[in-house]
Amino acid sequence: MNLNPFWSMSTNTGRKRSDGEEQSGEQQQQRASPARPSFGKKQLPSIPKNAVPITKPASPAATAQLANGTHASYGPFYLEYSLLAEFTLVIKQKLPGIYVQPSYKSALMWFGVIFIRHGLYQDGVFKFTVYIPDNYPDGECPRVVFDIPVFHPLVDPVSGELDVRRAFTKWSSVPHGPFLQLDNDTALRNHNHIWQVLMYARTVFYKINTMEPLNPEAAVLYDKDVQLFKSKVIDSVKLCNSHLFDQPKMDDPYAISFSSWNPAIHDEAKERMFSHKRRPEDHHKGLQVSGLSWVKPGSTQPFSKDDNPPLS
Amino acid sequence: MVANGNRDGRQGEALVLKGVDPETCMIVFKNHWAQVVKILEKHDPLRSNTSSNMASAVQNYVEHILFLLMEEDAGQAGAMGPILEFVVMENVMERLFLWSLRRQFTDDMKLEQLKMYEMIVGQARQPLLHHKPVLRPLMMLLSSCSGTAGPEVEAELVSLLNQLCCVLAKDQSVLELFFHTSEDQGAANFLIFSLLIPFIHREGLVGQQARDALLLIMSLSAENQRVAQHIAENTYFCPVLATGLSGLYSSLPTKLEVPGEEWHCLHREDWLQMPTLVQFLNSLEFCNAVIQVAHPNIRDQLVSYIYNGFLVPVLAPALHKPTLEEVMTTTAYLDLFVRSVSEPVLLQTFLSFILLHRHENVHILDTLVSRINTPFQLGTVSLALFQTLIGLYCEDVMLQLILRYLIPCNHMMLSQRRVVKERDFYSVSAAKILALTPSCCSPEHSPPPLRQLDSILWSKGTDNKTEETFLEEDGSGYSCVIGSEIYLDVNYLHYLYNARLGISSCTRACQVWSAPYDGEDPPPEEYQPSALEEAGARGRQAQKVNPKRSHPHPRPRPPCPPQTTDPAPTNQLELEWDDSYDAGPVVSPEAATAESSKPPQLPAAEPPKHIQEMRRTAIMLVKGSYIEESDFQDDVMVYDLVAKKDARDTVDRRRPSRETLPESEESEIDSEFNLEEDHFKESSLQEKDEVPLSNGLSLPLHPTNMEVNSSEVTKGSKEVKAHVADHNSNLQSPLAEVGDDLMGQYEELIRTLGSDEAGTGGSSPVKTVDKEFRNPVVTPMEEDEVDFSSFSMDTPELEKQHSSLFGTKLCSGSTRSHSVPFTGPFVSVLLSRLENMLDNSLHVNLLLTGILAQLAAYPQPLLQSFLLNTNMVFQPSVRSLYQVLASLKNQIEQQASTKKDFPKLITSAQHCLLARESSLKGQDTNSGDSRECSPLEAGRMMKSSPPPQPKTISLARTEVFATVLFTEFLKELAAIAQEHSILSHVPMEE
Repeated sequence: MNLNPFWSMSTNTGRKRSDGEEQSGEQQQQRASPARPSFGKKQLPSIPKNAVPITKPASPAATAQLANGTHASYGPFYLEYSLLAEFTLVIKQKLPGIYVQPSYKSALMWFGVIFIRHGLYQDGVFKFTVYIPDNYPDGECPRVVFDIPVFHPLVDPVSGELDVRRAFTKWSSVPHGPFLQLDNDTALRNHNHIWQVLMYARTVFYKINTMEPLNPEAAVLYDKDVQLFKSKVIDSVKLCNSHLFDQPKMDDPYAISFSSWNPAIHDEAKERMFSHKRRPEDHHKGLQVSGLSWVKPGSTQPFSKDDNPPLS
Repeated sequence: MVANGNRDGRQGEALVLKGVDPETCMIVFKNHWAQVVKILEKHDPLRSNTSSNMASAVQNYVEHILFLLMEEDAGQAGAMGPILEFVVMENVMERLFLWSLRRQFTDDMKLEQLKMYEMIVGQARQPLLHHKPVLRPLMMLLSSCSGTAGPEVEAELVSLLNQLCCVLAKDQSVLELFFHTSEDQGAANFLIFSLLIPFIHREGLVGQQARDALLLIMSLSAENQRVAQHIAENTYFCPVLATGLSGLYSSLPTKLEVPGEEWHCLHREDWLQMPTLVQFLNSLEFCNAVIQVAHPNIRDQLVSYIYNGFLVPVLAPALHKPTLEEVMTTTAYLDLFVRSVSEPVLLQTFLSFILLHRHENVHILDTLVSRINTPFQLGTVSLALFQTLIGLYCEDVMLQLILRYLIPCNHMMLSQRRVVKERDFYSVSAAKILALTPSCCSPEHSPPPLRQLDSILWSKGTDNKTEETFLEEDGSGYSCVIGSEIYLDVNYLHYLYNARLGISSCTRACQVWSAPYDGEDPPPEEYQPSALEEAGARGRQAQKVNPKRSHPHPRPRPPCPPQTTDPAPTNQLELEWDDSYDAGPVVSPEAATAESSKPPQLPAAEPPKHIQEMRRTAIMLVKGSYIEESDFQDDVMVYDLVAKKDARDTVDRRRPSRETLPESEESEIDSEFNLEEDHFKESSLQEKDEVPLSNGLSLPLHPTNMEVNSSEVTKGSKEVKAHVADHNSNLQSPLAEVGDDLMGQYEELIRTLGSDEAGTGGSSPVKTVDKEFRNPVVTPMEEDEVDFSSFSMDTPELEKQHSSLFGTKLCSGSTRSHSVPFTGPFVSVLLSRLENMLDNSLHVNLLLTGILAQLAAYPQPLLQSFLLNTNMVFQPSVRSLYQVLASLKNQIEQQASTKKDFPKLITSAQHCLLARESSLKGQDTNSGDSRECSPLEAGRMMKSSPPPQPKTISLARTEVFATVLFTEFLKELAAIAQEHSILSHVPMEE
């Protein structure tokens, strides 16, 4: 998973202003390449005339920032970068069996899919959407909604929403909650992060909790009649998997969609996946490294490397 | 074989021979040769005078002969063609050479012979040089030309040598023959090489050809051990090259005619107009090229000669010339040289000169750093040099300048160490930085053209039909929609973009670094002062009387165990008062005249320019580091201080340093002034000239400092705290009695805590300090609210005193950095200058903010956390960028509130800067020169064509321009902080 789609979206504002006049034919290509056109510093492109203002309620995020004594004009940037940072953190965590991708239209909506590899829900492939409140990070905990309501005590049988709030009663405040022990990264100390929500969404399928259920039927069955519960789960998994190849619920270019195996398309990709090894040395070989160092590793003395030519 | 047909491409003589068969050619050749021989035998030039007729006849025949030789193809299987065979057998070339030798061997004759060889070597179709009868006379000719000769001969000689080198490069088998032939001659080996050496530094085409030829041999040496060895051991190539640099350097102008005040570095346009500099750069470029291609033996030798034959004996003294202009000029040269050199090994030579060489016991680096503080052009030029150095992405440079002071992590509270690597998830730092935007510059207050705000509606993903149709119409399909609700500073997007570019390229470059500098690697524990100074603890006890004396090491060594440098207390003072402020001797005479011609008490109005400059000089002289101009209220005092300084300098030389008044005492006095002055500052900024300050001139020793026992120390600390509290709450509080030795006690306290710690050998001193000094000065900024009262007028004074105490002045003379948190002289000097932003000229501020932004783009967490993390809690004595920015904001707000027309002026300045920006852009597209030094041109342009805006504004209104720049700088920093939060911690993709 890489950052690019997200980034390209996040840079839209800049691109939009400068590429306003560009033909729509180039749209695809632009989208593919995240690099922005190099415009001069502080040089402003003109506003397209056809840009009709649209009335929309002011963003709570901006007002929140205002309350903090910051200029409203930067509120969206803070939000955008916070979400970007969250997303990079998700990538860094390498959550097992979980894939997410922010939507094309908004950084506040992420599409995801979770693969359950063992346990009661084994072989389940559940698509979901993460909705992040637009006053993030000050707002409440992000919502996780499964495309198809999975049969699970904590998943609303109608809306498909997972009860996330129970794990993150006070979002973004002092450290707490069940994931504190996962805190192997200093960066995670003080705040909740979206990856924790995703992690939670995974955990519920391995460790069933029936307290205060959103799906009382599932909860009761699990406690009273595990066999029946199991068979209902199997049915639910089957149902979900049978809809796997459906069109994405959301009409969004970055929505996750599955298709059956097509050797013409997938074989090559598969091969690349398996052959690809991350070797940083190779990675940058082609690039001209412009930095300099004559410091011997482990030393803080300048010019301590052995291969320095003698100067006297 | 027929010499025609496929050779049609060749013109001239070739056409003559078209269709002529080789046999005929041979016959013609023999015929001509017979004629020549006849003349040669009849007219021995030694016996009879050869008539010019005869000579020209020979010349004629020879020309024909050579045409025939040139045009002959090689025989089968590489055998000689018949003509060549004849030439070899009959020793034609040697006989011709000897004949001209026996005549008067004039320059004309040499020219003739040289041309002859040039022609056949260059144009022959078969290899000629393999044959001794051809090669030997050539070598004889060459060696006969090695003496003095006219410029024409030299040109021809170099041209021929160049040609020979080309042949060598193509066909190395000739090389052996060149060596052998010279052995026969008994002359130095490898004649062609030796002959080229004198032309290395020649200007014009000859020099260029010679250098090209030498480069060919150099690349030959990389593969040929024998050539390499010969050049390194038997020739003067490297010394000539290096000392040649020295020679050329000495012919450079010692003082540059500076085009204007904003000038700060030598651009291409500048040096192209200076022939001597062009010549120097050519030679430097040649050295660079040699180092690039030559054998390592030659490379190492050359580098060593450049270091020991040019940098140390020539450039180092030049950097310490007596006048300001000369020093400034040298600095500008050095900057240009560093920029011109591209080969890492050569760059390393220059850098190790700058970073490690000591001139008269002072590191060049320290001198250069301290010069940043000079308010003259030297300061600006020094800044430009550091901009260049920082732009190299060189670990060694960054280590020496900043990182080594940050590695021990003593500049922050102990609890903060784990925060170093933390990233700023919610753009908290960016928000805090942007919140410092002065109210007069807030985007809402700017008129439309300057506003750079477009209302962009942020799509929240909530499906909205209108929005979608709109997006499709627009064709770009982006999620961001133009609306009317949220104002986005579009200009900020550009900052973000630039920040991203800057950080990524810096991050990529830093991949070759040896350590991540993240607060863990290198481990702070291993570079703790306590470990290093165990031995010095006893000494410290003894030196307690004089705070200064606690730092016996001549210089903050890179924090590396064990400390081997001898404590050298005797020369310490000298070191501290390094001669970096060369301005002194130059300006002092001026001072004298100025004083005599001016009434001692000046009216409250703005003093004349030269007086202002004098002030600045005096400030430098007295403080050895930057102190706000306003600290010196009275010109008389300034003059007196200059005199005092001069007097003291001479005294100091003789007096043992132990009794010498340490600078810290002076600082105390200054702080005393400051404290008293606060009242005046408060009441009126204009009245400062009237404040009587004669008391400052007595420079008394403060006995209070000398014996401070522990209880007093604790008391002191309380006093300090109370004091600070007073300051924050009430500026009017009388402080003189405490202020007297406030600094001394404060300093003493910190030091005692450190030494106590060393005595018990328990937990680290930082911990204790941490406990004691939770927050006397710096309010930990855990809360979202920034407490601006903590940055009120006087608190920074306290800070500043410290930074100047521990700052520049100490850079060359102490290990204070170990016992008292210190972020290094460079950071200290930069922040000092930044603090003075409102008084700095536009170009100085551009440089300053540029350098700081450059530093902020470095991905090392130690640097990042220090510069950009606004939540970090630092030690009280450490001044952070954020603090300085906050105090600047305060100053600006104050200015804005006192000056009615401030908003108007801001608008004018913005227009002016915008115009400058666009004119710069125009220029950028014209000249391909993408170097960073654009402010120079900008300044020029601004002066020549004032922007056609409603109201022009003088550049002298520095505070107005600084305000605009400050606002932009905040955006730049915030953008960098934001990009760091998403870039630095993710492995590089792509």
